[in-house]
Amino acid sequence: MASQNRDPAMPDVRAKPATTISNLNSKESHSVTKRLQQELMALMMCGDKGISAFPDGDNLFKWVGTIHGAQSTVYEGLTYKLSLEFPCAYPYQAPVVKFQTPCFHPNVDQSGNICLDILKEKWAASYDVRSILLSIQSLLGEPNNESPLNVQAADMWIDQTAYRKILHEKYETEVKSRN
Amino acid sequence: MAASSEEFGAAWKIIETSFSSSKKLDPAPPVISPLGLQSAVELLINHGIGHIIEEWFLEVMNADLQQRIAPNFLAYFSSSVPEDEIGNFMSKVIAELYDNLSAYIPKLGQLDEISMCISLPTPSSMDGLNTVLYNEKKSRQPAMERAQSIFKAMLLPQYQIPESLYANVQKFYSLTMRVHHTTDEADIKANNEDRDDECIRCTGCCCDTDNCQCQTLLHIFHQVNQQLYELGLLERFAGEAVTSVIHEKIQDYVQHTCKGNFESSYLSCLETWLETKVVGWLSEVYRGSEGCERYNDPNTATSVEAYKSRLYYLLYETYTVVRIDQLFNIIIEYPESEPAIVDLRCCLEKTNLRSQLVTSLKTALETRLLHPGVNTADILTAYISGIRALRVLDPTGVILELVCEPVRKYLRTRDDTVRCIVSSLTDDSSSDLADELVRGEPLLLDDSCQGEEDMANWETWYPDPVDADPTKTSKSRRSSDIISMLVNIYGSKELFVNEYRTLLADRILSQFNYDTEKEIRYLELLKLRFGEAQLHYCEVMLKDVADSKRINSLIHNGELQGHQSMDIPVNAMILSAQFWPTFREDKLELPAGIKSSLDAYTKNFETLKGNRTLCWKPHLGLVSLEIELKDRKVHISCSPVHATIIMHFQEKSKWTVDELSVIMHVPVSVLRHKMAFWQSQGLLKEESADTFILIEEGKGGRHDIHMIDIEEETESAMASSHDQREEELQVFWSYIVGMLTNLETLPLEKIHTMLKVFAMQGPSTGECSIQELKHFLDRKVKEQHLIYAGGVYRLPKPGS
Repeated sequence: MASQNRDPAMPDVRAKPATTISNLNSKESHSVTKRLQQELMALMMCGDKGISAFPDGDNLFKWVGTIHGAQSTVYEGLTYKLSLEFPCAYPYQAPVVKFQTPCFHPNVDQSGNICLDILKEKWAASYDVRSILLSIQSLLGEPNNESPLNVQAADMWIDQTAYRKILHEKYETEVKSRN
Repeated sequence: MAASSEEFGAAWKIIETSFSSSKKLDPAPPVISPLGLQSAVELLINHGIGHIIEEWFLEVMNADLQQRIAPNFLAYFSSSVPEDEIGNFMSKVIAELYDNLSAYIPKLGQLDEISMCISLPTPSSMDGLNTVLYNEKKSRQPAMERAQSIFKAMLLPQYQIPESLYANVQKFYSLTMRVHHTTDEADIKANNEDRDDECIRCTGCCCDTDNCQCQTLLHIFHQVNQQLYELGLLERFAGEAVTSVIHEKIQDYVQHTCKGNFESSYLSCLETWLETKVVGWLSEVYRGSEGCERYNDPNTATSVEAYKSRLYYLLYETYTVVRIDQLFNIIIEYPESEPAIVDLRCCLEKTNLRSQLVTSLKTALETRLLHPGVNTADILTAYISGIRALRVLDPTGVILELVCEPVRKYLRTRDDTVRCIVSSLTDDSSSDLADELVRGEPLLLDDSCQGEEDMANWETWYPDPVDADPTKTSKSRRSSDIISMLVNIYGSKELFVNEYRTLLADRILSQFNYDTEKEIRYLELLKLRFGEAQLHYCEVMLKDVADSKRINSLIHNGELQGHQSMDIPVNAMILSAQFWPTFREDKLELPAGIKSSLDAYTKNFETLKGNRTLCWKPHLGLVSLEIELKDRKVHISCSPVHATIIMHFQEKSKWTVDELSVIMHVPVSVLRHKMAFWQSQGLLKEESADTFILIEEGKGGRHDIHMIDIEEETESAMASSHDQREEELQVFWSYIVGMLTNLETLPLEKIHTMLKVFAMQGPSTGECSIQELKHFLDRKVKEQHLIYAGGVYRLPKPGS
C-alpha cells in the first residue's frame, strides 16, 4: 500500500478513515508518553518533600505514588501509597487515583476511592501529577466534610485529639501489621 | 694344488716385510720385488686365506695407533696454547700425525688391490663360492675407509675428546677465520690506496704490520685442512669448532653492524657478507682453494651447499632476534626506521619468530610506555607510530591487534586520552593526526565492519595468520585508518564529539576574535569522518559566532529604532544555550557601570530580535582595560573578574578581601587568587593582612611593565567532564530516590532498566553502564543514603 511509505505526520485527504484514526492514536499515545516523561522528570527534579511518584515497572501509564502526611496535621508521620492510572486521553481526561494503603479519612472510602473535585468534574489539562499529589496531601489535613465518603471519619473530625488517636490505631493495625 | 708350510712361511715373510716396513720407519727398507710380493699374495689367495692379510695389517696399525700415535697426539692438547703460537702448534701437531699415518696410506691402496683379486671370479672356483665372494665384496668397504674409521675411533673418540683439544682447535679456526677476513679486506684496502698508517698491528694475526703472520697462517691453515682431509679426520676434528666459530662470527657481525641504526636496510649486505666471507671460508676449510684436488669432490660440495642454507637461516634468525630486541626503538623512530621494518618483515617470513616478536614487543611496551611516568600525548604518539610501523611489518594487522591491545586498554584508563587525541587532531603544529584528518576517510568503527570479503579478488585471498583472533574479520584489521583506531579505543564516536565540542567552546571563548574560518575547516574535515549528525551541535556553535559578529555590528551601527547607547562598548558572544556544553557556574557581580551597558545591549538586542532576550554569563569574557594612574597608563586585556576587581579600586583605593567578596559575590579564596594577578602587575599591594591598596605611583622600575603575561592560568570555561558526569549521576540519583520511595525495594538490574527507560532519554544525559551504576550505588550505600540487603536496594527509613 502506498500509504505505508507516506510520512504519517503529513495530512492526506485520500487516506482511509481507519488509517487516519490509527495514525492519530499512535501519534497521540506518543505525545502522552512524552508528557508523562516530562512530568516524571519535573517531579524528580523538583525535590518536593512529602510527595513522590514513579512508574510501576516499565509501564509509563501506571504509577505508584507516595504521600507523607503534612506537618502539624493529624496525618503527620503517616505514609500512604497511591496508584495512579493514566488514560490514553491524558491530560484531557483525569487519571484514576486511589489509595492503596487503607486510609481513614472523610473523603476516602473503604476501597481507597478519593472524592476530590479536581480528579472529577474540575479536572483540567493544566493539572499534573505533582499538583494532584499536592492536592491530595492537603486534602488529608483539610477534608471536605460536606460530602463525606466515610461518615464516621467526618463525624469524628471535630475532635482532633480523638481523631488522631483512632487514626493512628487504625494505621497501626491495618498498615503496620501488614508489613 | 697344495703348498707346503715352507712355501706359506716364505710368502708370509715377504708380505710382512713389505707391509710392515712403515712401522719401523727404516731409512732403507729392504727392497722386495713386486713380483715376489705378488706371487706370495697369490699363493695365499689361491688357498682361500687372502683376507687375512688385510685383517692382520689393520690389527697391526690399530696397535700402533693405540700404543704410540694416539697418546702422543692427545698429549699435545693437554694444555691450552696461547693464540700467537696456535698456528705453528697446529701445523706441527697435524704434520706429525700426518707423517705417522700417511706411511700406512699407500699400503692401504695395495690392500684394496688384493681384495679386488680375491673377489675376481676365477674359472676354477665354483659358482656358488663366486656368488658369496661377490656379495661380500659388494658390502665391504675399501680398506681406506675402514682405516679412516679406525683413525677416528682411536684418535678422536666421540664423547672422549678432551676439552682442551676442542678449545685449542676452536682457537685455531677462529684465528684463521679472522686472518681470512682481514686478508680479504687488506686487498680492498690496498686497492683503495687508503691505508691507515696509524694501525700498526695487523687486525688478523695481531702482530706488527711489518711482521704480519697472515700469509704464513693461511698457508698453515690450508696445509692442516688438506692433511686432515687426507686422513679423513677433517670433519671429526674441525667440524664442531668450525660451526661454533661461524655461529659466533655471524652473531658478532650482525650485532656489530646493525646496532642502533634503523635507517638503512642491512639484509642484502648481510647476505653478501655471508656468501663471500663466511661461506667462502667454510668452503676453503672443506674443499680447499680452487684448483685443489678435493675442490671438485661432489660430496663435500653438496654438504657445503646444505650447510650454507642452514647458515642463511641462522643469519636471518640472528638478525631477527637483534631487531626484535630493538623493535620498540624502531617503532618510536618510524618512519625513519622503515628499512629496518622491511628487513624484519622479510626475515619473519623465513624464520619462526613471530610469537617471540609479539611477546617481546608487548613486554617492551608495558615496561617502557604504559606506566604513570609517561605523558598521555607521548603514549599516543608511540601508539600512532606503532600502528604505522606494524602495518608495514604485518599488512594483515594481526600483530598490531595482538600487541596494541594492552596499549588501548591502558589508554582507556587515562582521563585525558580523548582530550589529547582531539586536541592533536586539530593542532596545526603536530602534523601526524592533523594530516590523517586531512586525508578524510569515513570513520570505520569495529562494529560497522561487515564480514563480507572482497569476492573480486578471491584468487589473491590469503588466510589470516594462525595467531589471528577468529572472531574478527580480516577486513576490520586491515583498515589502516589511524583515526578510526584511536576512536576505537573507546568504541564510541560520541565521546570524541563531545570532547571536541568542549574544546571548540573553549577555543571560541578564549579568543573572542570571531574568526572561525579555521574552525570551520576542521569541522568540515571532522564531518567527513564522524558524519553530519554528530557534529550538528558544533555547527550551531560556529554559526552562533558568525551571528554574534553580525548582531554586534548591527547594534553598534546605532541605526536601530530606540537605540540605547552604551557607556562602555560591548561586543557580545551570543550562544544558543542548548547547543553548547555546560558552563562552569561562577558567580560574579559586575560593577554598575558595566551592568548598565550590558542592559543597554540587551535592550538593543531585544529590539532587534523581537521576542528574544539575553542571559549574561558575566564571568566569561575578555575585557580590554586602559588604566590611568598618576604617573602612567597601563593597557591590559584580562578576564571580567580581574577587571571588576580593579574597577572597584576606582571608587576607593583600599578594600579588604571580605568587602570585595561581598560586593562581587565571589568567594574569598578565589578572589585572593585573582588579586595576585594585579599584585604581580604592580597595581595592588597587600597593605596589611587581607587589606589591599592601589599603587598610584610606581616606585620606579615598574614603568615599563605594560605587557602582561597572560600566562595566567587558562582555565576551561566548560564544566569538566568529571563535573558533568557528577551532575548526570545526580540526576540519576533523583530518579533512583523516586523509584525507591514508591516501589520500596529494587534489585540493581531493575534500577538500571528503569533508569534506561525513564531517565536516559535526552541527548545531554549520557549512558550509564550497569557497572558504573553499581559503583555509584555502592558509594551511596557507604554514605548511608541507601541500604543494600538481600540483593535489593532500599532507602533508609526517615528518622531511623
